[in-house]
Amino acid sequence: MNRRAFLRTGGSIFGGLTLPRVLRADRGQINCIIFFQSGGACQHDSFDPKPDAPSQIRGGFSTIPTAVPGVHFSELLPRSAKALGRYSVIRSVYSKEAIHEKAKQYIYSGARPNNAFKHPVYGSVIAKELGAIGGLPPFVVIPSKDIAADAGFLGSAYDPFVTGDPGAKTFKVQDLALPIGIKMDEAQSRAELLKTLDDDLRQVEKSRLVEGMDYFQQKALDLVTSPAAKKAFDIEAEPAALRDSYGRNGAGQGALLARRLVESGVRMVTVFHGGYDTHVKNDEGNKKLFPVFDQAFTALLEDLEQRGLLDTTLVLAMGEFGRTPKINHSAGRDHWPGVFSIAAAGAGIRGGQVIGSSDANGSEPKDRPVSVEDIGATVYKKFGIDYHKEYRTTGRPVRINSDGHPIRELFT
Amino acid sequence: MVPLLAIAMLAGAVSAADWRELRIEPNQVALSGPGASQRLIVTGANANGTESDATPDCQWSATPAGAASIDAGLVKALRPGRVKITARCGSASTDTTISIGTSPDTLEVSFGRDIQSILTTKGCNSSSCHGSPAGQNGFKLSLYGSDLAADHKMIVETHGGRRVNAADPEASLLLKKPAFTVPHGGGHLLTKQSDEYRTLLTWLQQGAKFTAGGPRITRIELYPRERILVGAGARQPLTVTGRLSDGTTRDMSAEVRYAVADEGIIGPVTQGAITAKSRGLTVIAARAMGLTATAQAIVIDKAPDASYPRVQPANLIDEAIFAKLRQVNIAPFPASSDREFVRRVYLDAVGLLPTPEETEAFAAGASADKRSKLIGRLLDSDAYASHWLVKFEDWFRNSQYYSQGRTNASYKRWLRELIAEDRPYDEAVREMLTATGDTTVRPAGNFWHPAIDFMLKTFDVAKATPTVTRLFLGVRIECAECHNHPLENLTQDDYYGMAAFLGRVKVKHGYGQYRRIWYDAREGEVTHPVTKQPAKPRFLDGVTPEIPEGATRRQALAHWITKAQKMQFARATVNKIWAEYFTTGIVEPADDFRSTNMPSHPELLDKLAARFIEEGFRFKPLHRLILESRAYQSASWAPGRPGGTDALERILFARYEPRKLPAEVLFDSIAQVTAAPHKFGNYPPGTLSKDLVATNGPPYFLTVYGLGRRDVLEPRQQTPSLSQALHMMNSDGVRERIERPANILGSLLESTVDDGRVIDSLYVRAYGRAPTAAQRARVEAYLAAEREAGRSRRRGFENLLWVILNSKEFQLNR
Repeated sequence: MNRRAFLRTGGSIFGGLTLPRVLRADRGQINCIIFFQSGGACQHDSFDPKPDAPSQIRGGFSTIPTAVPGVHFSELLPRSAKALGRYSVIRSVYSKEAIHEKAKQYIYSGARPNNAFKHPVYGSVIAKELGAIGGLPPFVVIPSKDIAADAGFLGSAYDPFVTGDPGAKTFKVQDLALPIGIKMDEAQSRAELLKTLDDDLRQVEKSRLVEGMDYFQQKALDLVTSPAAKKAFDIEAEPAALRDSYGRNGAGQGALLARRLVESGVRMVTVFHGGYDTHVKNDEGNKKLFPVFDQAFTALLEDLEQRGLLDTTLVLAMGEFGRTPKINHSAGRDHWPGVFSIAAAGAGIRGGQVIGSSDANGSEPKDRPVSVEDIGATVYKKFGIDYHKEYRTTGRPVRINSDGHPIRELFT
Repeated sequence: MVPLLAIAMLAGAVSAADWRELRIEPNQVALSGPGASQRLIVTGANANGTESDATPDCQWSATPAGAASIDAGLVKALRPGRVKITARCGSASTDTTISIGTSPDTLEVSFGRDIQSILTTKGCNSSSCHGSPAGQNGFKLSLYGSDLAADHKMIVETHGGRRVNAADPEASLLLKKPAFTVPHGGGHLLTKQSDEYRTLLTWLQQGAKFTAGGPRITRIELYPRERILVGAGARQPLTVTGRLSDGTTRDMSAEVRYAVADEGIIGPVTQGAITAKSRGLTVIAARAMGLTATAQAIVIDKAPDASYPRVQPANLIDEAIFAKLRQVNIAPFPASSDREFVRRVYLDAVGLLPTPEETEAFAAGASADKRSKLIGRLLDSDAYASHWLVKFEDWFRNSQYYSQGRTNASYKRWLRELIAEDRPYDEAVREMLTATGDTTVRPAGNFWHPAIDFMLKTFDVAKATPTVTRLFLGVRIECAECHNHPLENLTQDDYYGMAAFLGRVKVKHGYGQYRRIWYDAREGEVTHPVTKQPAKPRFLDGVTPEIPEGATRRQALAHWITKAQKMQFARATVNKIWAEYFTTGIVEPADDFRSTNMPSHPELLDKLAARFIEEGFRFKPLHRLILESRAYQSASWAPGRPGGTDALERILFARYEPRKLPAEVLFDSIAQVTAAPHKFGNYPPGTLSKDLVATNGPPYFLTVYGLGRRDVLEPRQQTPSLSQALHMMNSDGVRERIERPANILGSLLESTVDDGRVIDSLYVRAYGRAPTAAQRARVEAYLAAEREAGRSRRRGFENLLWVILNSKEFQLNR
């Protein structure tokens, strides 16, 4: 069987998750971590400050130089400014959706939401196309199932695995450990009983539904009993100093957990960091948020690089849209899909680039506009996925990505 | 191999002599004039009652002599008049009369008919080529030739007329590209010797005229419409006829583009015929001139013989289902046992498990109509309303996230009443479609809620239009918002015509984020993106209604859907209910009616729809009809015959197809089996999860098992997942039910010291049956080992309860 045909059979609903490790090598084993600034991060107060604009637009923060001469960031991102050699910034991304739910779904799938069906998000498509590596789920979301993180018409088989909050003092991966008080031998003997009793049903019911339920039940049992899986999620195993360097908070520890997971073979991890929806008192909010991001993001890049993982790990920092250029009556900024910035690193992306620019007020792209579809095409191209492929799950053809063009600057 | 072959030949010989009920297709053929031809095929019934192709067995004749020639079914017109064509097939015969007109067979090449058919058969105007919304390299054609004028303009005028060379027709790009004398992305499609090439050339030589004013093809028909092929390699010729606006017909067998939905079952159409490949059901589509015709083909291994079992139909559903099953030689599965049935019907009709007492009483009951009585009792219960409410909330999108109007509860109440009182559905739909006023007081208006753009505080016509047609008519027109529908005869004009009915819907936002008031403005239009003109309200059937003074466009729309189109409205509705009970619609996907998506049992669907209308659009009689059918009451397996090995058994409803319990049903069943009721915030203990108004953040259990946001129309996903398996195994929520002191184990263990009785009791609660001897022995051995390992009696049973909740037999309805 040639590889294409194999992938096709592998792409069936459950088979896709059983693709053997062998296939990894020729795809360069790309993984991806998305640091998602949930709520929509302010472009002015981060990667695209407008120091020369009137104060109602400029906002309350000054600018600082970065590692790249002539490029300035907001003072809220000192570490990111120094680390710009490791990643690139796109200042000319625009969206067409201004409601959180829709905009998230849009940028997290590269496909504009419609009323008829829900398009699968990146992680779900990647899970379907490339399958899992080892016993770990291919797609993981930290800390909770954001409404955007949905396999849509591909079905819940490709939904993400959700971890819970690694910043919590008593962090325990949701549903992964045995219930409190249950010993391993006890768990194993009851699992055996379950298996033998289920066998009677298997004799009379051979449908794919039952096959699928069996498949995931077995996966779940493996995860619970596998030391490798435990290790992948065991953030306690990280040295205290490294944990400190990421920041002892949900986002920082989430980024660290994400690194552990891609190291163990998870293909797509998203860390959702909330609070960027600064309709009221924008400056106060951002003073707390961006330092957390700044620390987690730069620690992640440094850690990945030191472990030799950055070359194979695509890292994106983005939110669902930007914020209004003009500060509102509540000293806040509202939703603004007109233009915003994202940061991209790893998987062969040359650092230190500033791609595209916004106009004087940070309200729309000035040059090199980058669409949300382009981001999608970029992600899939990095993974080697044919994004022109059509799914037929909804009774008609739907392309994985329509109209997107990979951002060429991220492939040179 | 020789004996097999001999049997096959013998079978052929026997059937040839034995044809019954012969018919010739197409009938009512009216050829334009001498020179025109039409391929005819003959279908006959075999001795075993199944139909197949009789054409090879037939001798043909035409009277009066000299009016037409006929050879192997191909009739050629020779002179004007009426001709009787007779086919004598074995000992039987049949005939048809065709008329022959006086027009000579097309002398002038017609753009609308001939050129378009070439563009279609060669794939030039398909969606992957120049028919795509963006065209291909600047050359854009309408999909499958749906817009003749635009195509003519594109070929002859656009880009300075570069595609047509009037001085030297043969140098026209229109020929050079497909003939590959210049590079062509689509490859080498025509040789210079081909008929198509010559037709194109003739048309160019005749001046490349736009001749579409003559007769138009209004419909195409593909025969045979339905065919069962026995064994791989079985062949069936197809014939296609076009009906023209002048009343004549035209053989289009060689002018359409064929597509087989599943080429694993039927190979691609070659030389006008299909060939069986492997067991299954698929659909063949023929397209031309923007028109589509379809036929269904089923491949089986063996025709039914005398050993095929007779099963008594319980009602009209079974008559249709069993007739088809017989044709394909699949025996219906045996009837479910009483215990299987009582658990099944509870879960499907009311979303709960029967109590152990109910199960035992039903199993012990002796009356002949006990199933029917149980069905009646369930349909009248309160739980019926709660259960179907969840589905209605999915369909009518009682959305949790966008509903910043916070009227989820009032909408839920309104829907629940509609179900509980079995209000006429057409009336309820009219109420939703025309709803005005404050949604806190007039909850039906919440139907429009997901179409609000709440940032802009406006109503979004583009969101609402496809919702309405898909939900109530099963017609998906969203594709046509941006381009003509690639597969159907639906155009952008159709879409905007429908959208115009909603062009005046307006919403006012009341105080805070909480109140929405719907009304119809006196004016307001939807702009057609191509013409840039206001779109005129026009129904999908092309009718432009007179809207009387004082009436709203929405009222006209509601009237059209529920009255003028009541048959399609009823079909779409009953098919949804059907799909809930059988997991597969008669049309599948259940809300995707289109000519290329044929119903598996068209007559049954029509009968159910007609019955639904007769019953005043009330749901309960429909539920009853389905639940009382023997088809619904079939077992999901039989000794020596496991289920789930053959897709045809599911598609043709040979068995009860096991399904996962939906999120709410599973959650409520866990509460029942463990006797540990839900505790939801301020709700009274014991509230069912179905009755929860979970505006912002339903329990994780429900979302992980498939409760969605209800913001799109896509049906719920019912596929298993890793997160589901992990949650059931390891979550604190499930553990707490198992360990809650006063749960079922608390009372059972106190009531008896006999472990066997406790095991039996748990089995009946969860599965509606006692364990088999082997299962009981296995469980007893397990419990003994647990005690051996130093764990308490209760702990052992807790682990057994865990096993039961995680077992597939519990998580499935079967």
